[in-house]
Amino acid sequence: MTKQEQLHGILKKLKQALPELRSIVIASTDGLPIAHNAADAPRVAAMAATALGLGKRIGQTAELGSLQETIVRGDQGYFVIYAAGDKGVLAVSAPADANLGLIHLEARGCAGRLAQILEEVIE
Amino acid sequence: MEPLKIVIAGPVGAGKSTIIRTLSETEVVDTDAFASEDIGKKTTTVAMDYGTLHLGDQLLYLFGTPGQDRFDFMWDVLSEGALGLLLLIRGDRPEDFVPARRLLDYITSRHSIPYVLGVTRQDQPPVWEPEEVAVFFGVPAERVVGLNAKDPRSAIGPLLRLLELLIENK
Repeated sequence: MTKQEQLHGILKKLKQALPELRSIVIASTDGLPIAHNAADAPRVAAMAATALGLGKRIGQTAELGSLQETIVRGDQGYFVIYAAGDKGVLAVSAPADANLGLIHLEARGCAGRLAQILEEVIE
Repeated sequence: MEPLKIVIAGPVGAGKSTIIRTLSETEVVDTDAFASEDIGKKTTTVAMDYGTLHLGDQLLYLFGTPGQDRFDFMWDVLSEGALGLLLLIRGDRPEDFVPARRLLDYITSRHSIPYVLGVTRQDQPPVWEPEEVAVFFGVPAERVVGLNAKDPRSAIGPLLRLLELLIENK
């Protein structure tokens, strides 16, 4: 299986586990889309990288340890950006009535697997 | 005296993060991420750089932007409330001049603020000189200052010029 197939496999599994997700974007930490099911992936990838990068820096200053995720919450939904190792970002968009705990459970596991694959893809 | 918020923009690799690291009197807030594209360096700014600097009694807040077009939303975010713009351009990379011109128009059309163009790498000839860059951009020569972003005495030049412009405009 190629890396791209593995990445799409991860994307598909996450979508199956959490059908309520509006979109999923896997990106590099410098904001380029790698795999996604979003219409506006280039923009989402850049914004996700910015939010995660700033979150990491805030985490350093506030001594929060290694960053896991940055959450944007509006009254109509969530946008959660997970760190996937040093090189990857996993961003998901979900409606307000979604179960955030369940999203974390699935997406954090997914981000861990992504981290391994991306470490080999991006050199 | 009120602190002045200055935005430092420009294409990738122009020296935006470098000038803030060179000049800031306080610990720099940076947001470097691993660069997955070939941009001639290992890391790139994805959100912002932040530092502070006194010019005489005047305190400046320096906000550096990411360089890539895909981060253009950050140009807007960081330009909000800014009183001056320093646009950095690499003097040895004329292919960046046209994108830099677009970037200048992008910011100044949305935020009506005085600007100065800083032409970096003046210590590494052959480079375009400030006068030549002024002609290329079609802007008055006093708006363009040459510098070496790694040298504190040189890097402060364009900010002094920007401060002069701000005082003139008052």
